[in-house]
Amino acid sequence: MISQVFILSSKGDHLIYKDFRGESGSDAVGVFYEKVTALTGDQPPVVMSHKDLHFVHVRQGGLYWVATTTADSSPFTIIEFLNRLAALVKDYCGSLSEKSVQMNFALIYELLDEVVDYGYIQTTSSDVLKNFIQTEAVSSRPFSLFDLSNVGLVQKQLSRRLGFFSFQGGKSEIFVDVIERMSVVIGSNGMLMKADVEGEIRVKCYLPNCSEMRIGLNEEFSIGKSQLRGYGAAVRVDEVSFHQMVRLDEFDSHRILRLCPSQGEQTVMQYQLSDDLPSAPPFRLFPTIERDSGGRLLMYLKLRCDLPPKRFSTFHNLSSPDQSAELKPQSRAVVWKIPRFTGGTQLSALFKLEVPGLSSASLLEVGPVGLSFELPKLTATGVQIRFLRLSPVQPGPSQRWVRYVTHSDSYTIRI
Amino acid sequence: MQEWANQLCENRQFGSKMTDSKYFTTTKKGEIFELKAELNSDKKEKKKEAVKKVIASMTVGKDVSALFPDVVNCMQTDNLELKKLVYLYLMNYAKSQPDMAIMAVNTFVKDCEDPNPLIRALAVRTMGCIRVDKITEYLCEPLRKCLKDEDPYVRKTAAVCVAKLHDINAQLVEDQGFLDTLKDLISDSNPMVVANAVAALSEIAESHPNSNLLDLNPQTINKLLTALNECTEWGQIFILDCLANYTPRDDRESQSICERVTPRLSHANSAVVLSAVKVLMKFMEMLPKDLDYYGTLLKKLAPPLVTLLSAEPELQYVALRNINLIVQRRPEILKHEMKVFFVKYNDPIYVKLEKLDIMIRLASQANIAQVLAELKEYATEVDVDFVRKAVRAIGRCAIKVEQSAERCVSTLLDLIQTKVNYVVQEAIVVIKDIFRKYPNKYESVIATLCENLDSLDEPEARAAMIWIVGEYAERIDNADELLESFLEGFHDESTQVQLQLLTAIVKLFLKKPTETQELVQQVLSLATQDSDNPDLRDRGYIYWRLLSTDPVAAKEVVLAEKPLISEETDLIEPTLLEELICHIGTLASVYHKPPSAFVEGSRGVQHKRLPGSAGSGESVESPDTGSAAGVSDAPPAVIPSQGDLLGDLLNLDLAPPATTTGPPPPTSSGMQMGAMDLLGGGLDSLMGDESEPLGGDLGGSPAMGAGFGAPPAGMPASFNAPVSGGLDDLFDLGGGVGMPSGAYSPPKSIWLPAMKAKGLEISGTFARRAGVVQMEMTLTNKAMSVMTDFAIQFNRNSFGLAPAGPLQVLTPVSPNQSIEVALPLNTVGPVMKMEPLNNLQVAVKNNIDVFYFSCQYPISMLFVEDGKMERQVFLATWKDIPNDNESQFQIKDCHLSSDAASSKLQGSNIFTIAKRTVDGQDMLYQSTKLTNGIWVLAELRVQAGNPNYTVSLKCRAPEVAQCVFQSYEAVLKN
Repeated sequence: MISQVFILSSKGDHLIYKDFRGESGSDAVGVFYEKVTALTGDQPPVVMSHKDLHFVHVRQGGLYWVATTTADSSPFTIIEFLNRLAALVKDYCGSLSEKSVQMNFALIYELLDEVVDYGYIQTTSSDVLKNFIQTEAVSSRPFSLFDLSNVGLVQKQLSRRLGFFSFQGGKSEIFVDVIERMSVVIGSNGMLMKADVEGEIRVKCYLPNCSEMRIGLNEEFSIGKSQLRGYGAAVRVDEVSFHQMVRLDEFDSHRILRLCPSQGEQTVMQYQLSDDLPSAPPFRLFPTIERDSGGRLLMYLKLRCDLPPKRFSTFHNLSSPDQSAELKPQSRAVVWKIPRFTGGTQLSALFKLEVPGLSSASLLEVGPVGLSFELPKLTATGVQIRFLRLSPVQPGPSQRWVRYVTHSDSYTIRI
Repeated sequence: MQEWANQLCENRQFGSKMTDSKYFTTTKKGEIFELKAELNSDKKEKKKEAVKKVIASMTVGKDVSALFPDVVNCMQTDNLELKKLVYLYLMNYAKSQPDMAIMAVNTFVKDCEDPNPLIRALAVRTMGCIRVDKITEYLCEPLRKCLKDEDPYVRKTAAVCVAKLHDINAQLVEDQGFLDTLKDLISDSNPMVVANAVAALSEIAESHPNSNLLDLNPQTINKLLTALNECTEWGQIFILDCLANYTPRDDRESQSICERVTPRLSHANSAVVLSAVKVLMKFMEMLPKDLDYYGTLLKKLAPPLVTLLSAEPELQYVALRNINLIVQRRPEILKHEMKVFFVKYNDPIYVKLEKLDIMIRLASQANIAQVLAELKEYATEVDVDFVRKAVRAIGRCAIKVEQSAERCVSTLLDLIQTKVNYVVQEAIVVIKDIFRKYPNKYESVIATLCENLDSLDEPEARAAMIWIVGEYAERIDNADELLESFLEGFHDESTQVQLQLLTAIVKLFLKKPTETQELVQQVLSLATQDSDNPDLRDRGYIYWRLLSTDPVAAKEVVLAEKPLISEETDLIEPTLLEELICHIGTLASVYHKPPSAFVEGSRGVQHKRLPGSAGSGESVESPDTGSAAGVSDAPPAVIPSQGDLLGDLLNLDLAPPATTTGPPPPTSSGMQMGAMDLLGGGLDSLMGDESEPLGGDLGGSPAMGAGFGAPPAGMPASFNAPVSGGLDDLFDLGGGVGMPSGAYSPPKSIWLPAMKAKGLEISGTFARRAGVVQMEMTLTNKAMSVMTDFAIQFNRNSFGLAPAGPLQVLTPVSPNQSIEVALPLNTVGPVMKMEPLNNLQVAVKNNIDVFYFSCQYPISMLFVEDGKMERQVFLATWKDIPNDNESQFQIKDCHLSSDAASSKLQGSNIFTIAKRTVDGQDMLYQSTKLTNGIWVLAELRVQAGNPNYTVSLKCRAPEVAQCVFQSYEAVLKN
């Protein structure tokens, strides 16, 4: 049971404070802020306690979303709830920031009242909530398609829905995103030791009246090892879970998800695949590490992108037009940034490092190489959206977006 | 709108600058005044804005209670938005203004009749949140109506309101019959109403642990399971948590519930998944393991747990803490999923450490190669804490999976080659553990270890290295030099290192007496004279005394074979684990503490237990059926390899505070003189010289003897077996004060280790004193809090042993205190045959909990004083008992003469009736009688010069023969 919920700015200002059960005083807010700022990096921040009060918090939009409890409640429930609450606030107010929360405090209080009663979570579905919520959202800035602060492939499109709920009657749009995160470990001998993919299909719906939506996945999509049919390059995942509102009557036969999307954003399906990727990992590294005559550490890195030639990947740093490299003494790491990497090509770099007291044993100490990247228009598992049908047929112009992206969650190549 | 928002920003900034000052309110009095005017404005819009401003001030912590009447005046409006704002204000300030809150009651009551269900629900919700006693009586009627409202939204709000009201005035809720109405709502047609009713009832039931509020029976369970499929994700959590409290009647019901809960495992909300896992883990206990469904269920549990690990780090951490529990309880669920616990380089450190822990728990012969390869990678990472833990994990693998030990050792040696300081130190600490687990197997690596001696700067690593040197002194040529080098800075070392150094040098001395005499004297004087640390000083005295009195005994004691260290370390003790499994997904599972440890008040004090396994229809609560609640048959001899792992004899806590009478500090000159002499003598005899040991002229010797005379109370069980002989010798120094005369009584052993009983340690023995059987116990409080209210109860047993009176613990036992209790027993209790016959199951209660243990009593304490049979009767009986009932035993290595044996046995009520000597062989005919009237006849054959005795036992109840023989052996050998 949740005792209190509060939202703090990163500086510790009280933005929202709601006590549901009258069990503890509002000084809890101050206690929380002291505790959270005193945390060191290696302490798990999830649950903190002060006397009989336990704090569970998440950080979203630069804000602390905190719930307290005095009973043996479930931190899972609370974390899930806080994430949902943040998503709801985002859906209602357009964006998550100190300012938007401040301006919409009356709305958020109203939301909180409907979402939680006496510490019992009631609902977090925006469909249900829209029946109860009276207050209108206040947008912190005028809506603009050309908002310069939102650069980037995915983010640019996201910004359009800013404050959608307060702009009823605007353009109707629906986004279906297939987002995958890869974690790969490649051993020092070049062997693929581990390759996991976690994926999700996310629907962002801004259609005023959409009663049903059907999403068709690849027909050869199979779950688990037993369902493999014939030979063929089946798209296989190990485990799938669905959002509660997804109806699966057509899933087994035709791989169609049926759902009535509520306004806003939901994850309709999540899936995992481990160890059995349909294609080779996208990047390979061929490192050579030695000590030169001057006692310097030489690292010769050859990086190959094994994607089909037409694809390219974007490494995170978009601002620099060329490659760059930097030594980070604190984390004892060299960072090599590659803005754009075309499939089928190869890049190499030679790093010479002055290491005081370098011995032959130190070569053993050179840690693994971690890659972080984003591969647009590609899913590692091969999951595709065949079609997207909406009913009733949408009157007027409506836009449907289907997007694929694969991120590196943890892509490690050992040396 | 923009305007007041800006103003809010300003206020907030202002507020944060001068948070706590009267100055603030006085200067801003104008603002309150302005707001008052606006609140009383005729225009609705203006009113609304004003109330918003008031609430904005309230949020940032300003006191706007002065506006109470004005805000309440705005309440009567048909504008829902305004009404909600006013209610928000009311909930906040009603408590501080109870009299004025009454002003609002009328509006509430009226709103509860409103045609709009939103307004009805809003009114009843808000009223419940106004925690003012006077309001509650007005609340009853509207609440009663709302509970039966036609709109489910109102009903679900009213259900929660009952819980609110119960918190304010529990009696009122009961009197008004709201609880029954709430129970009816479990059958409501709307799943949301059901979920809230369940949540409210669960909470109310927690504050009345004995009430039968949540009357869970198959019918209600069925209703809940139906509602489960329909209600929101949050409602599902309430229902699943409630289901987890139900105990199914049999395995079939258990299976059918499991079948209906398993679909929840694929829910996207991880909280739902975890609650479902909790239900399944609990109900699985009821399923027979050979059932097909059991295997299916095990398979179904793995994927959702793996899925939890794809969440954000916060949830991952919580998931890992839970998986850690699940893996300890049922490792088979995740045994094939080792790879998902491999750490990612960008995991936060707290996630990495948790994963590492789980990896070790899952390590087995099948996957050890993979695990080791991973661990070796981790050991080269940057994060020091993580690297250390990884190195330690390699050692734990070696100890856990024997087949991998060799590979682990070579991996560790590779790591030592890197010369990275903390890696080397950590590696040495774990290699020491490996040596202890597999003695005499990997000593070839010692040379490599010794090379790194100089780089060790952490106490734990130094202590470990010193232990290794001492333990294998005979194989290290320059062991004396190595140890001597440590000795130079003896006083700068930490206690841990000092103690190790002392022990290691004594070991060295015992192994190589000739060259190291000087060294040992040096360390003994450093430890006893120059140190303020009582542990060190006492250990030094013991060694000194031991070496000077009986070097052979010293050798036996100090170089005694050590018990192997246990495979699994830092496991959660089973009863706590069971309780935590019942709390999967909650805070308890994250803290790994029972809820009673961190939840205040009555809530959560009930300890949840897993249901018994299939077929056992016993109630788990009653101590009589203790076996179901997990009584172990013998106290386990597990030594944690962490902590003070150098488990040689003298590490044991010889002097807990309560029994420390301690040797008074002797005059140093006399002491030193005497000791020098003594050492010389001791050395001679060690070297096989015939010269007499010069005992007895030691200055402080009587006092020391007395100090040792009292048997040590807190002796870990594991030390008992291998070293008890040595210890007895030690006690004999003080003239055998600790040994009981008369009937034989075994030394105290630990029956209930502290880690299994929340800090209560019980060691004890049985004795027969003046015809009365006594259970003599030492209760030691190793917890942090005072223990009181002790009571004891026996399970039915073979001889009807029962306490003759209550357990006499008159004073509370404070932390670290030990008390001795003697509990007289009688033999008129209920009888049930136990296996083994002399097994006794005991339940001990204190203010903390009830604990169960079992112990075995020597049957000799049941031998009665009038057990001497007439010769004629003996002969007749001997013939009368069929030969099938005769059993023969050998007692080996007994050097007593037949007369000595006879008198020793007599002390334990085994009476010699006749003696014959045939061909130099003495035959003793003996009889003894048990408390329940069973006669045991015996023939003891003693051949002069042969240390092996033969006992033939005849008895009408042949079952007792084995136990009687054990007593023979115990009596004769002690």
